[in-house]
Amino acid sequence: MRNKLYKWILWLVIFIILAVFPRVFGIYYTNFFVGFTIFALYAVTLNLLLGYMGVLSFGHAMFFGTGAYATAIALTHIQGFPLLPAVLVGGVAGGLLALILSPLLVRVSGTAFAMLTLAFGQLIFVLALKYREVTGGEDGIGGYSVPPLNIPGVVSIDMTDQINFYYFAITVIVVCLLILWFYTKTPFGSLVVGVRDNAMRMDYLGFNLPQTKAINLIVCGAFAGIAGSVHALLMKLVSTVGVLDIGTSFAPIMMAYIGGVGSFFGPIIGSGVFHLLEDLVIRFTERIGLVNGAIFILVVLFVPMGLVGLFNAAKAKWFH
Amino acid sequence: MSPTAVLYVAQAIHGLAYGMLLFLVASGLTMIFGMMGILNIAHASFAMLSAYFCYQVLLMTGNFWMALLIAPVLAGICGVLTERFLLRTVHKQGHLAELLITVGIMAVILEIVKFFWGTESLVVKIPQSLSGLVNFAGLTYPIYRLFVIGLSTVVLGFMALILFKTRLGKIVRAAVSDADMVSALGINTPLVFMLVFGIGIWLAGVAGAVAGPLLTVFPGMADQLGMDAFVVVVVGGFGSLGGAFIVALFLGELNAYGIQFIPRLAPVLMFAFMAIVLAFKPMGLFGERE
Repeated sequence: MRNKLYKWILWLVIFIILAVFPRVFGIYYTNFFVGFTIFALYAVTLNLLLGYMGVLSFGHAMFFGTGAYATAIALTHIQGFPLLPAVLVGGVAGGLLALILSPLLVRVSGTAFAMLTLAFGQLIFVLALKYREVTGGEDGIGGYSVPPLNIPGVVSIDMTDQINFYYFAITVIVVCLLILWFYTKTPFGSLVVGVRDNAMRMDYLGFNLPQTKAINLIVCGAFAGIAGSVHALLMKLVSTVGVLDIGTSFAPIMMAYIGGVGSFFGPIIGSGVFHLLEDLVIRFTERIGLVNGAIFILVVLFVPMGLVGLFNAAKAKWFH
Repeated sequence: MSPTAVLYVAQAIHGLAYGMLLFLVASGLTMIFGMMGILNIAHASFAMLSAYFCYQVLLMTGNFWMALLIAPVLAGICGVLTERFLLRTVHKQGHLAELLITVGIMAVILEIVKFFWGTESLVVKIPQSLSGLVNFAGLTYPIYRLFVIGLSTVVLGFMALILFKTRLGKIVRAAVSDADMVSALGINTPLVFMLVFGIGIWLAGVAGAVAGPLLTVFPGMADQLGMDAFVVVVVGGFGSLGGAFIVALFLGELNAYGIQFIPRLAPVLMFAFMAIVLAFKPMGLFGERE
């Protein structure tokens, strides 16, 4: 009973923080916060594969980037394209890419899965770089404006105002995270974990393994696409090096690992730590990659279960 | 020979040179994977590091041959240290942790390289004796590329001799097929692992050092060499040296002719080829396990 009360208080606190954040911290940290939540969602989708299904997606940027490009292309070429469909287009594009690749990806696991996703990620990267008529090549797509949020007959909210955009982006991402949270709690979510723990047994129990993996993959692709889409709306610029490169693929892996693989909230915490760290490091040195890489190595070496794991271990030691 | 035929032959030799370089990188990668189960993401980064070492030694001594000799050895030493102090520590945590460690190493090497040598492309000057063109049967061809093919062949022939004719080679081959069994027979497998890791990095280092004058030395070098080498390993089958050899040469040619006929699609061809192979053989052409 008391536990439940604490939970409600926690949710309330989070809600209040989200609501007053832009009023308190100013515009720079508001955009910073949106960036953090985008990568939190992105890292959660990676963790649904890594922590829940037990396969490492090494080219996760392809879903993120495809979503970002889909939104940017739709907004550039279609006059008066509304806001919510623009976000949905990103999700559909990411999911579609996952659907196309799933026949190949579900057949492999372990290192081969990592390799295949890495290779497909690079394939998409090279394609985006070469087909400059569609993607703008290295320069990317920019100059599109974020359309207002129209609810016909009710209200039209101007999204060029950054505080309005903050509330919109946060709502989209929190809704996505909630959907994913409930998704992991469905019987299907348990089935995915079962595939990770003992695939053969799941097969004997009569579940369709390739289908299960494919659906999970498509869900992850779609939500990574939505994350990319919101990223495109936030940055108002999509370029290959920003959303499709190998660094974008590795970032969520690091976040998930630092936060804690296998815990739903781990990657969110990891994304927060990662962003705060970056904000801190950039004041002293340009070498963010070096610091990130070194910290990542140390985490893998000494804290393999991540911050959430560390917290749970501490709780088990001191409070029980 | 007619001009068209000359062009075809020139492209074929181009492809052969690149294919041999790829195999130098991929052979270490596939051997390390076969033995230790580690997919070394940082493999090509060590090749790049060696290219930078080569540039630096050349700058300091002015002797290309000495640079070519020292740079891969330095890279190999870095590899051995990495294996001993990082990879062995996480070995008990499983392959995923080892894979992630190599990701971190890749990021660190990239930043180190940028820190010491900057981000611009560096040109490695080749000595007079290698820089000219050679004429045969109506074909003019740069000597350096022929030298790359020759050197790779010598290095690989030497490695093949060790692998197939010595006791150490026998142990390595046995460990590739079943490391636990070899360990149970009383052989110090951690030492063998360290050695193989070092040699694998050394091979990649040779490739990186000789590739320096061809590709110029820049921080994106690892991505370029690395992706191609990974495709070779995946398509050839994890842990299969023969498969890697055939696929490396094939990809070299595919790349060379691709650039000639469909320049825009050339980088994509390789991945398309990989997708087709994996659609029918998920374990690669010559692989026996995932």
